[in-house]
Amino acid sequence: MTRTTLPRIIAAALLLSFAASVPAFAQTLRIAMTAADIPTTSGIPNNGGEGYRFLGFPAFDGLVNWDFTHPNEIAGLTPGLATAWKIDPSDHTRWIFTLRQGVKFTDGTPVTADAIIWNLQRLYDEKSPQFDPAGSAIVRSFVNMLDHWQKVDDRTVAIYTKYPFSFFPYMVPNILIVSPTEWQKSGRSWTEFARHPAGTGPFQISKVVLGQFAELTRNANYWDKTRIPKLAKMIVIPMPEATTRLAALRSGEVDWIEVPPPDAIPSLKAAGFQISLWPYPHVWPYMFKMTDGSPFKDERVRQALNYAIDRDAIVKFLNGTAKPAYGLYPPGNPYFGTPELRYGYDPAKAKALLKEAGYGPDHPVEAKIMISTAGSGQMLPEPMNEIIQQEVKPIGFDLHFDVVEWGTMLVAKRNGPDSPAGHGDDALNNSLGFADPASMFRYFSKASWSPNGINWGHFYDPKVDALLTQAQDSFDPTQQTKLLAEAHGRIVDDAPWLFVVHDLNPRALSPKVKGFVPAQSWYQDFTHVTVE
Amino acid sequence: MARFLAARLLHTVLILFGVSVVAFGLIHMIPGNPLDILLPPEAPKSLVDHLRAEFGFDRPLYVQYLAWLGRVFRGNLGTSIFTGREVTRELLRALGNTLVIAVPAAVLAFGLGTTLGTVAAFNYGKPLDKLISVLVILGLSVPHYWLGIVLVIVFAVEWNVLPAAGMGGSGGLPTSWHDLSFLVLPVATLSMIPIGVIGRMVRSTVLEILGNDFPTALRAKGLRSRHVVFHVLKNAAPPTVAVMGLQLGYLLGGSILVETVFNWPGSGQLMDLAIFRRDVPVLQGTVLVLAAFFVLINLVVDIVQALIDPRMRR
Amino acid sequence: MADIAAVQRIAAPEVAEGIAPRGYWRTVAGRVRRDRLTVTAGAILLAIVLLAIFAPWAATHDPLQGDILHRLEPVGTPGHLLGTDETGRDIWSRLVYGGRLSLFCGLSPVLLATIIGGVLGLLAGMGGRLLNSLIMRICDVFYAFPSVLLAIAICGVIGAGIANTILSLTVVFIPPLVRVTESLTRQVRSRDFVEAARASAAPLHAIIRHQILPNVLGGMLVYATSLVGISIILSAGLSFLGLGVTPPAAEWGLMLNALRQAILVEHTMAALPGVAIVITSLCFNLLSDGLRSAMDVKLPS
Repeated sequence: MTRTTLPRIIAAALLLSFAASVPAFAQTLRIAMTAADIPTTSGIPNNGGEGYRFLGFPAFDGLVNWDFTHPNEIAGLTPGLATAWKIDPSDHTRWIFTLRQGVKFTDGTPVTADAIIWNLQRLYDEKSPQFDPAGSAIVRSFVNMLDHWQKVDDRTVAIYTKYPFSFFPYMVPNILIVSPTEWQKSGRSWTEFARHPAGTGPFQISKVVLGQFAELTRNANYWDKTRIPKLAKMIVIPMPEATTRLAALRSGEVDWIEVPPPDAIPSLKAAGFQISLWPYPHVWPYMFKMTDGSPFKDERVRQALNYAIDRDAIVKFLNGTAKPAYGLYPPGNPYFGTPELRYGYDPAKAKALLKEAGYGPDHPVEAKIMISTAGSGQMLPEPMNEIIQQEVKPIGFDLHFDVVEWGTMLVAKRNGPDSPAGHGDDALNNSLGFADPASMFRYFSKASWSPNGINWGHFYDPKVDALLTQAQDSFDPTQQTKLLAEAHGRIVDDAPWLFVVHDLNPRALSPKVKGFVPAQSWYQDFTHVTVE
Repeated sequence: MARFLAARLLHTVLILFGVSVVAFGLIHMIPGNPLDILLPPEAPKSLVDHLRAEFGFDRPLYVQYLAWLGRVFRGNLGTSIFTGREVTRELLRALGNTLVIAVPAAVLAFGLGTTLGTVAAFNYGKPLDKLISVLVILGLSVPHYWLGIVLVIVFAVEWNVLPAAGMGGSGGLPTSWHDLSFLVLPVATLSMIPIGVIGRMVRSTVLEILGNDFPTALRAKGLRSRHVVFHVLKNAAPPTVAVMGLQLGYLLGGSILVETVFNWPGSGQLMDLAIFRRDVPVLQGTVLVLAAFFVLINLVVDIVQALIDPRMRR
Repeated sequence: MADIAAVQRIAAPEVAEGIAPRGYWRTVAGRVRRDRLTVTAGAILLAIVLLAIFAPWAATHDPLQGDILHRLEPVGTPGHLLGTDETGRDIWSRLVYGGRLSLFCGLSPVLLATIIGGVLGLLAGMGGRLLNSLIMRICDVFYAFPSVLLAIAICGVIGAGIANTILSLTVVFIPPLVRVTESLTRQVRSRDFVEAARASAAPLHAIIRHQILPNVLGGMLVYATSLVGISIILSAGLSFLGLGVTPPAAEWGLMLNALRQAILVEHTMAALPGVAIVITSLCFNLLSDGLRSAMDVKLPS
């Protein structure tokens, strides 16, 4: 070997090894969502869970982010644009956030304390020029307890809540942060900003073709080096028809579909597609009406119905894309507690309870249930409800359905149970989430009675109320868990809902898609996914 | 003639007013308002009420109607409550997309329908006539949205020769074979009913022309001479064009089911979304524009027919 | 509108002067009988109607009860010749019972609209210019809306269900029927024999009954029967969108919707409700066409 050959060989070897270590880049993931339209791309997406899942968290951060790295627990919190947060020991309404230094928006401008304040004004200060009514409505519905804020210094922001609320950090991820400079450059219009938004997330929204798709591109300068995407691009396409989604996946038009029709699961598996299933904080219940005139005012009737349904049959119908629910939280969750009643399919017990309550085979329980034709998280409402109807008929329940459009159900839920919007129905079949510990307060406390909240049926157990309020006031995590678990145990026994199933977040992926590890969350992490 | 025109124009304006009232009234009869959909159900009622006042939903109905009408006259169809985008822009985009499938469907319907109808009429009573008649009527009898699903299964899933859904990301007119492939199935599905209507109509019109203008003797000699065919087509053209115009109106307004199946971002889907989300400004604007289109096409058709046939002037 | 014009061409000139002769209808009946296609269509339709009426005897299972463990069984399964649906109900039984609802939802709106539209059209045709303008302009406003859009909008407003479906479809069909009737009425009214009757001071209701009605009914009948096919498809379409009949009712459109997802898994069986709709609608359309041909006496039979 000559003196020049060896260096050349070494150079070639180095070059090759370098090439091999660079991740393959012709990688585009095409996802079909169940949303009927592209969620807004202004930083606060509409369209509920899917909006935040695809055009929220992938492109933007909050002060606090959801933690996707512990798939065996319900997703917790992790530092986002704030590296730490704590409650002010002398003022339990004051939270202090320490900001991460050195982060830049995708337009190059720095993330400063002023930028954070500016974003808060967008959502909470009606007099600010950047006030966004639509975005404000979406965020304030969850984070209504945010009162005012204070820039402590360039590295610290304090946020005040209206009352001591220990679960406040769980609300903060909803407030996504965008670049004020970009908004100024967009003629100070959110609609214009939405065409080329600038955030801090692992992806950047690079293109929006209205009515067709939105495209996200890799942000190589993302501040969390463990979450720089392997994908080059992600394209999200609205496809509300399940059959259309399925056809698009089978024909190779997309690589990933949300919520495949459960009937298609066996044939998808047989054809080599991957079915992703993983628990997440979702439950599919009936919310009972507990005012006068409703057959469900009687606790025994509510409990009887919980014993009268065969959850396993429903799970089988869904081809395993759900699991039975015996409470708001699943058994095994630290908040499940120790209820006295353990529900399951027990027709004898159900009949006994009904008999106690004064019903019998010749005098069945007549109830009207409001169900929707579709909706976010509603799974397959019509067949699932028909199965329930068939199952409980021989036991002594005569269920009738008031089938409404999703919009109508939302209207009903927002109003009192005896208001005309409720159509006189005795229960609502509406899926709900429990991503944060304040969920039980929202669903079961007296303060949340509709129309002021979503305790639609006006359930009230003073003991539960006390426990939930105490939990919100307590800033000790162990204490919180203990109180919440006790509350949940009582709730299961009180049976304000018919607990049916927990959805398992089904998705169908092409065999070319690798690296996806689902988190127990309504949102997911796309940064480790690759497409061969 | 001028009197007729003036009367028709006045008539059209009155109709449009009536349409605007019905559109406005109907939409406001739908229970609930957009805020109930826009806002997550956890939103407290005070927030809902506050936003309701901001959007002006708390004013009496006739005030809202007049305010809306005033804006429409200035060319402003309002802003979508859900997306914050201007209704006019959304509608133009969506209508454009619908035209991409509606116009080819209309052309296909005209061409195929006329051909089939004429051939059937010329072979009146013979098996070919019966066959074509049944085929044409079949087009009217099949739920076209369902057939669309079947076509998707056959061509996209099983044989994988055509795409299953969407526009293919072209965002407008197709510019390549790839883009065109997205059009094939939706256009075929959409054209089924117009082919049936036009085919049936052409057949009966041609039959009547043949009956009127060609006594039995000539008919016995055979009807294939070029003179006859030319004469027939010339006379059958006006009413056929009239029907086609109307079918175009139907295609624009009635494409909602096809667009649902094929995920086509057209005016039908826009309307479906608007109904679903109670996006009142979008719904009002879309219904008004589509109905106005229909009325205007009607007007043009009536004028054209009156020009040709003075008897039609009422 | 040109299809309305076609109806006018048939009904008005062909009717002879004077009171409509019974001979005309006998001729029509004879021509229909000789048209084999129409007769076949009529026979199939009769079979479907009979099956629907005698559903409790024709069905093999309860259409509303199913065995969830035996869902989506394919065609040819012993005991369930046409398979089972997504909750295990027998498809044949549901098709047969579904015929009742589908036919009811298809025929009632047309019937109601014919009666209401007919009356309004007669009034408009016989009445003075003011009455005519009033009725016709209001109709024009509703006629301006594409039918699918109007049906969906109305159902979206008043809600789902059988009664609401029939109501919304009736509203959709009234305007065209008013137009047809009004147009026919005015044409007949201007005929000499009617003038003669009025000159002889015959009472109005007698004129309507003996002169006007017999000559208008034919065209109305043709147009109305052509609407039945559309009505069946529209009501199925409303169920398809979730705005029509509510579960667990057996109705073809609803079945089509429910089995929509199964179609990718079990092709044949999921297509059956669609086939039922097609056959029924086809037969109605063929019948309507046959009637129209038979009534157009200028055409050789």
